[in-house]
Amino acid sequence: MDRRHFVAGSAAAAVALAIRPSFAQDAYPSHAITFINPFPPGGAVDVVGRPFTTLLEPIIKQACVVDTKAGAAGALGAQVAANAKPDGYTLLMHLPSISGFADVDKLFGRQPKFTRADFIPIARLSAGPMVIVVNDQQPYKTLKDLVDDAKKRPDQILFSSSGLYGALHLPTALFMKAAGIQMRHLPTNGGGPALTAILGNNSQVLVSSIAAASGQIKAGKLKALGCLGATRAASMPDVPTLKEQGYDVQFSLWVGLFAPKGTPDAVIAKLRTETKKVVTGEQFKTAMTNIGDEVAYLDAPDFAKFWDEDAKRVEQAVQLIGRVQG
Amino acid sequence: MESTLFSLAHGFAIAFQPDNLWYAFLGCLVGTLVGVLPGIGPLSGISILLPVTFGLNATQAVIMLAGIYYGSQYGGSTTSILMRIPGEASSVMTCIDGNAMAKKGRAGAALCIAAVGSWVAGTFGVIALTVVAPPLATIALKFGPPEYTALLVLGLIFLAYMSSSSLVRTLLMACIGLMLGMIGIDNMTGHFRYSFNLTELGDGIGIVPVAVGLFGLGEILSTPSHKVIGEVIAPKFRELWPSRKEWNESYWPIGRGTLLGFIIGIIPGSAHIISSFLSYALERRISKHPEEFGRGAVAGVAGPESANNSASTGAFVPMLALGIPTGPIPAVLMGALMVHGIAPGPQLVTEHPDVFWGFVASMYVGNLMLLALNLPLVGLFVTVLRIPYAYLYPLIIMFCVIGVYEVNHSIVDVWIMLIMGVLGYALRKFSFDPAPLVLGLVIAPIFEQSLRQSLIMSNGNYFIFFNRPISAGLLIVCIVLLGMSALTFILKRKDWRDKLAAAEAGEPIA
Repeated sequence: MDRRHFVAGSAAAAVALAIRPSFAQDAYPSHAITFINPFPPGGAVDVVGRPFTTLLEPIIKQACVVDTKAGAAGALGAQVAANAKPDGYTLLMHLPSISGFADVDKLFGRQPKFTRADFIPIARLSAGPMVIVVNDQQPYKTLKDLVDDAKKRPDQILFSSSGLYGALHLPTALFMKAAGIQMRHLPTNGGGPALTAILGNNSQVLVSSIAAASGQIKAGKLKALGCLGATRAASMPDVPTLKEQGYDVQFSLWVGLFAPKGTPDAVIAKLRTETKKVVTGEQFKTAMTNIGDEVAYLDAPDFAKFWDEDAKRVEQAVQLIGRVQG
Repeated sequence: MESTLFSLAHGFAIAFQPDNLWYAFLGCLVGTLVGVLPGIGPLSGISILLPVTFGLNATQAVIMLAGIYYGSQYGGSTTSILMRIPGEASSVMTCIDGNAMAKKGRAGAALCIAAVGSWVAGTFGVIALTVVAPPLATIALKFGPPEYTALLVLGLIFLAYMSSSSLVRTLLMACIGLMLGMIGIDNMTGHFRYSFNLTELGDGIGIVPVAVGLFGLGEILSTPSHKVIGEVIAPKFRELWPSRKEWNESYWPIGRGTLLGFIIGIIPGSAHIISSFLSYALERRISKHPEEFGRGAVAGVAGPESANNSASTGAFVPMLALGIPTGPIPAVLMGALMVHGIAPGPQLVTEHPDVFWGFVASMYVGNLMLLALNLPLVGLFVTVLRIPYAYLYPLIIMFCVIGVYEVNHSIVDVWIMLIMGVLGYALRKFSFDPAPLVLGLVIAPIFEQSLRQSLIMSNGNYFIFFNRPISAGLLIVCIVLLGMSALTFILKRKDWRDKLAAAEAGEPIA
């Protein structure tokens, strides 16, 4: 290779390198997309997000990477996503508790690090129905037995949760309000420890996703007294909903896909179409059935409407819990 | 019992199928790499490979993923011994005496003992899992917040045996550790404490950044300040194996560490982290030469390394027998089972015997594979020490940064590690031992949470700790231990600790 070739070659390479960014602008996605999972591995977002990204990869023709940024009960990952460059390469998967952080911050007189307005909802992927369970050492046969007993001895029955203002605490607060009862709260640091507490009779009541509790319910270690869905869960048709039993409470552990505010419309549109293909497909359905969740696809406009309603419930629950004295 | 043996034979038939053998080997290999390479931990190793298992059946998936988990426990000791970098909280204690042994040219012996201890502990753990899993698991559930509190009180008392410096220095370090452990969100009320408006500090200060900073980075920073002997510790090939004396010193610690680790591993929650600390303290408590600890005591490697391995096997007991995750890694494994449509729970054994027994049998095979993988690698790993310091140390710093960043993908963690590195340097200069600080940091958040949970359960009544048999028993052990120390004090017998204090007092200021 003589010098002229070398110079020409280098120039061509330089031009090629210089051109690349402009290619990137008109063809989204041109490189790997990061999906932030704000909860520890093995949690609800992880078991939904891993199959989702695995199925999305061949359709969107780019690597889809799940980036675990757990911390502060999901606030840390959400904050990272809120501050990420809104170019469609950093997305967030989150649970209903995403709506509560700003209100909790206000409750403590802190400046919220982010609000719901910092995110664009893209799609709701799945929803995990939830149930109220008691352990096998409790005499309660129905939800009414539990409510009656709790009325007799207020603040004596213990319920565990995955943490203060967490996804298991919020529905319990709504239920206690609807039933007019007061139970004592035993916060733990995750869904697993909350389940361990009730199995060891260190707490007596727990609101849990069916996915996490089904093995224990089948084995008779836990008894499901009511389902928190709008309708009975497909996997547990014998368990009546709370509404049927006269308590107006609805809550589900949905997983939604969000983009940071300011992400271009074209990118959102692309993500919506590709997400729809994955979520409405057979493979995703099988994966969700396996983990005990249900596919609950909502496209952006419907999801936005649903999220507004859901956020009202979450905000109400946060206000009901209020500031804990301690 | 007979039915257990029959089921186990069935399990071996499954585990020995060529496919399953291959996936067990693959898991062990990846696990060893994950354990040795500081850039990646078992948790992310498993979650990254989770989608790969979607194409396998449930048995193959769980065999491979579990292989990564216990394989990484084997490899975790390597960086601790060779470079004084604890890859995770459970290898902190291995750093101290393992690295001291390496400095004496016994790196090969330390690695061999760690591998053999891990094998014994792993195999014992699986046998115990096979035989006693269901009854033990029920006991594990009795381990609620009050029992935790009592166990951690015991841990705090054992703190006094942690370090190679005098009692005052040890307690000072422990207090700093306990105070650092107070940082972060208060789980009971939602208030942030000492977090300086940094969301990253909301969950408190991580153990890994602190341990890597204090031990790994602190060591390197202090190197230029003393005379570096140009001579690299390059052990001869013959010297790779432990001597007869070293073997003799490690039998009993391996046995005790194995048993202790398994019992602690069964307890749901984060108790397994303290298994290696407790084993170290126990070995020192009963050793005839407690002053050797911290200067390359064989028992200080054998005990903790066995303890953390059998604890990791013990952690499978509540997961398999009850379907409750005892830590983040069993939680991911349960997630993997769920993706394959198997709901982990008390009925796993009866509903999916193939998965359960195939998995258990594969762990016997896997432990043998790991021994076969790790022993020949000892020679290779030790050659790392032949790299001159001028090249090795920058590499170690790089590994420290990558390894710490990788745990939570957090830059704040890297800063914590760097600050702790400077602190570790200062502590070394003034001959403070950082181990009690790390244990304090480990204990503080769990202790606070379980104490406050217990008081919520009893509505503020402290008698809850004495009403429950397990916690009462543990507290009595604490009282006896304190009483024995008090007795030594009253009878004015000087123990090794006073000798240390005397030595420190007469020490010239460097």
